[in-house]
Amino acid sequence: MDVALGPAGGPVPRPTRPSGESAFLLDVSRQLAGSLNVRRTVLRALRLAVPVLGDWAVLALFDGCGVTLSACDTDGAPLAPVHVPRLAEDSALGRIRRAGRPELLHSTPGAGSAAGLAGLIPDADLLAIAAGFGLAEVLGVGLTARGSAVGALIAVRGAGQGYTQADVALAEEFARHAAVTLDAARLYEERRHVVATLQASLRPPELPAVPGLRVAACYRTAQERLDIGGDFYDVHGVPGDVSVVVGDVCGKGVEAAVLTGKARQTIKTAARFDRSPAAILAALNDVLYADRPDRFVTVACARLRPAPDGAGTLATIAVAGHPAPLVLRGDGSVEEPVLFGTLVGVLPDLRYEEAAVLLQPGDAMLLYTDGVYEARGRDGLFGQERLRALLPPYAGASPETLCEVVERRVMEHLDGRGHDDIALLAVRCGE
Amino acid sequence: MSTTTEAGLALPRFERALTAGDAGQGVGIVDELLDRGVEPTVLLLDVISEAQRRIGQRWQRGEWSVAQEHIATGVSVAATEAIARWVRRLPVTRGRIVVGCAEREWHSLPALVIATGLRERGWNVAYLGACTPAGRLSAYLHDSGPEAVAVSCSTAWALPGTRQFVEACASAGIPVIAGGTALGPDGTRARALGATAWAPGLREAVDAVKTLPSVVEPATPLAAEPLAEQQGLELNHHTLVETLRRRWRPQDAFAEGTPEHSGIAVAVGDCADQSLSAVQGALLTGDGRLLGDTAAWARALLSARRVPEPRVTALATELGLLLRDYPRAAALLRSHWPGAA
Repeated sequence: MDVALGPAGGPVPRPTRPSGESAFLLDVSRQLAGSLNVRRTVLRALRLAVPVLGDWAVLALFDGCGVTLSACDTDGAPLAPVHVPRLAEDSALGRIRRAGRPELLHSTPGAGSAAGLAGLIPDADLLAIAAGFGLAEVLGVGLTARGSAVGALIAVRGAGQGYTQADVALAEEFARHAAVTLDAARLYEERRHVVATLQASLRPPELPAVPGLRVAACYRTAQERLDIGGDFYDVHGVPGDVSVVVGDVCGKGVEAAVLTGKARQTIKTAARFDRSPAAILAALNDVLYADRPDRFVTVACARLRPAPDGAGTLATIAVAGHPAPLVLRGDGSVEEPVLFGTLVGVLPDLRYEEAAVLLQPGDAMLLYTDGVYEARGRDGLFGQERLRALLPPYAGASPETLCEVVERRVMEHLDGRGHDDIALLAVRCGE
Repeated sequence: MSTTTEAGLALPRFERALTAGDAGQGVGIVDELLDRGVEPTVLLLDVISEAQRRIGQRWQRGEWSVAQEHIATGVSVAATEAIARWVRRLPVTRGRIVVGCAEREWHSLPALVIATGLRERGWNVAYLGACTPAGRLSAYLHDSGPEAVAVSCSTAWALPGTRQFVEACASAGIPVIAGGTALGPDGTRARALGATAWAPGLREAVDAVKTLPSVVEPATPLAAEPLAEQQGLELNHHTLVETLRRRWRPQDAFAEGTPEHSGIAVAVGDCADQSLSAVQGALLTGDGRLLGDTAAWARALLSARRVPEPRVTALATELGLLLRDYPRAAALLRSHWPGAA
């Protein structure tokens, strides 16, 4: 069944399949074009192949010396793929792999034919399903894309309906479409693996639990298909002495993300020696300037420790070319410490100033990047005024709620327009 | 004591945690109930969703501000995340499902409830959260190739984005379950948007996901003429909302500077925005009942804020005038919005 509409809806009729060979092939190319995922493409190819090319089908994908066989059960539900580690070279499937020629097997009762069949379907369980169709003929066609054999389609027809030459030609045409799509999906998946591995180290971190504080963050990249960008945030330290950081490197996308990785790591390392925000920013400046003086980073950094008299949290803050964090008091008033600092990475030997803010239980601090106030909507930039103005009713809210409400207002202001990377980090004093 | 009864008894305590905006207390209540063996699904539905329904009513009745509702929802989210952490200890026994909300949908809690409930049943759930652009969803679908996608749509404003979600899934052959209050009381809107199945709640979603086909066809294109009108309305949405708010001014029933006058600004803005979004939704889904529902919702909102009757009905008149250039929209309004001419 194509559609299973829920309780009250009743099923929706399945669109009728176009009739005729050219219509079939048009449908095939239209449907196969939609996915870059190997497994989804295999499922779709199997579904398209039945019943036009056979009563049942197996899709074989070659890899190294082996082959992976995918098929559905007789009700059309997908079975777990079977991996055969070594494909016999002289089997029918092995021949398809080497020569790309179609193999057509006529099934006649007797042991010889079973062995031949196993050459096309080298798995006992799948073979048993195939046998259930009262086999007349089994057709194997190679899936060849960009000059190499990607895999094979094995289609089975029951008693009394063998394959004509035209049927074989249609199956080969189908195989050409499926092969190109599967090859693209495979290529995408291999590249994707490389990207995912590299991206994992640059993705915004999971926030650690910090005793006495609640921390939340939000990240939205400018390029919506990427998980990484040029903004970053981080939280690290030891119990009773924690650093929170938000920053923005020049540029966008992957190149910027690589620089955020370097900045984050440098900050983390510098903080191990001296957690004072001014010292961290000076160290970051020294490292990045020595590396390449033509790239810059803006950072807001705060160090959080229990207040000396035990009530609340003492925040020491420094900034480098970045707005100071906003402090939202429990009574709804909003403060912005007066702080300046040159951006990091373009001038040698910079020193940074620090400001101290005492956070009482219920107070919150919000660190943010320019993606927030430079978000351009119909009424111009979102601006820091709008940001400050939206906070007072959220006094005492959880940091998650603070991040969410700011993100939401900014996205509503943008109303679908493009934006820079956006990073937010909120800390609330008191668990 | 049955777990349903325990959950019922915990509801008032949980509501107090929402009122206080105390996430620690909210999380503490669900952790305690989980330890006592209350089923996660019962907590999700009978405590969290029920409390959330009640705070929605408080805002509707004018008892709570938007910020209060957000803060309380934050507590519910934290409590649901605590349940999500608990169910993640259960083994994964089924395939992968992606759960999320389309662009412009900020009500992520229903999706989080569905995600958590499906994870409890052994599905390997990837939760994308609120407001996910279709392009990002597509990239995610190509990367992970899930068995199915579940999309939650709570506001009419997100119906066009929900359609894009469905298109992205179906073009990759992946079946979609759609649910949420904006989809109405039956499967009509879900079907019109091209969803594979409709599920009004968690229990229905859990059942529906078991009957989904493994592969679906690309979504059938929507009817061209209503779609063209909807796109026109979407393009001019802000201008139309502003025009409506200039002409329809229920706040003028109260003297400027009074709490009544300033207090209804958000409600009036929401009525204008939601009415025009509902018109778009009705065009997109062909389901005019969305307009009747929105009319009733706006009436309740305005009456609770003591807006006099003639100013409530004036909304219908002004909408009619505003939609003169949109014949299909105007026709839907006349047949489904009480008092519209």
